[in-house]
Amino acid sequence: MNYLLPERLDALAREYATGTLAGGARRRFERLVREQRAAQLAVAVWQQRLAVLAEGVPRVAPSPAVWAALQQRLFGGAHAAAARAAAAREPWWRTLGTTLFGTPALGGALAGVLLAVVVLRQQPDWLGHETYREQLPASYVGLLTDATGRPTVLASSRRHGRTLTVKLLQPLAVPPGKVAQLWALPKDGKPPFPVGTLPATGSGAVALADTSEKLFFTVDRLAVSFEPAPAAAGAAPAEGYLLSGHCVKLW
Amino acid sequence: MTTQEDLARWIARVVLQDREAFERLYRATADHLLGLAIGVLHRREWAEEVLQEAFMNVWYGAQGYNPQIASPMTWLINIVRNKAIDRLRSGRALREASVELDDEAMNVADDAALPPERQLDDSLTKAQVDRCMSQLAGQQRQAIALAYYRGLVHAEIAEALGAPLGSVKTWVRRGVDRLRGCLEAAGIGPAAGGRAA
Repeated sequence: MNYLLPERLDALAREYATGTLAGGARRRFERLVREQRAAQLAVAVWQQRLAVLAEGVPRVAPSPAVWAALQQRLFGGAHAAAARAAAAREPWWRTLGTTLFGTPALGGALAGVLLAVVVLRQQPDWLGHETYREQLPASYVGLLTDATGRPTVLASSRRHGRTLTVKLLQPLAVPPGKVAQLWALPKDGKPPFPVGTLPATGSGAVALADTSEKLFFTVDRLAVSFEPAPAAAGAAPAEGYLLSGHCVKLW
Repeated sequence: MTTQEDLARWIARVVLQDREAFERLYRATADHLLGLAIGVLHRREWAEEVLQEAFMNVWYGAQGYNPQIASPMTWLINIVRNKAIDRLRSGRALREASVELDDEAMNVADDAALPPERQLDDSLTKAQVDRCMSQLAGQQRQAIALAYYRGLVHAEIAEALGAPLGSVKTWVRRGVDRLRGCLEAAGIGPAAGGRAA
């Protein structure tokens, strides 16, 4: 297909600017925009036109932590102390209710929910100890293979994060009534502990009980077993492992 | 009152690594940009991450801004919107598998956001082209609003509106084209017919 035919280009640019261009077509078009000035201009024209639609979007003040984190990530060290001090002076969940909802009473009622989200985000790495472009952030990474050695689950979590991201590289045949339970196996011989349950296909996020650093510091292997129910803290695997692999530090 | 000229000047200063200009640019635009990102992502937490990433790009990529093809705000809006849309689409699986907490957070964000159609109406009113709204059929308005403010693709809009996919595609296409005609007639948007190629 010749994307550069003016009419075709205009239609693609319109879809891209509207937001309806998706998946592979979107990525291909973005590549075209990077490489072809005609495509760049076609998009710019549509974006400029549709910018009118953004006028009426309700304004929402970002928490001070966003600016603090930006400074830290961009300018690092010298700004870190000042940024943290600023964040400490004005915890953003305190002002969130009023900025988001206008009325303090409603804000207060919802603040608990938001606070929980905030706490999840208040981790050192979010304030940016990683370098922006080149390096992957400090993370724990695990690649689990099945009995035949085929890579099956990719698990990763930022060093100070509390979420483990998992990606199923091939579908998992979870028997009905069972769950795929992920276990962490410490290298010091302590018993395995449950991390969370995995989806059978696609990707997922497992909320961790603590930061990766605390949980995985002594862990050198991960494994998956099918269990009748998600394992509670302190539980041991009831069945044998179907998948296992190394857990390594990416820094 | 910050003008587009102010924004353009600050972006030019950011190219020279002027931190003060960068902060002014952020202070002047972050509220608007975060509102856009929240509309797409429904989660303040993610929207703030997108905002942060977007301004990382602004700092490192300000020299890529071309004032001849986009106003400063359009440039910023598109950085944020594209990032939010990418995040939305890459995170969809994650969101579906996410914990209860996320659901609550999503509800909160929903409460805070205006219905997409209201945003479309407000936008055209603010731009003083209210009559463009009346030129769109109801279904066209709904479809455009879900695409632009929520980042939904055709199939999702079809599902949201309980309409056939083919109809939705037509509503978006014809609606946006009609909007283009109306905006051009009102002298809004790029001049010279708008055919770029």
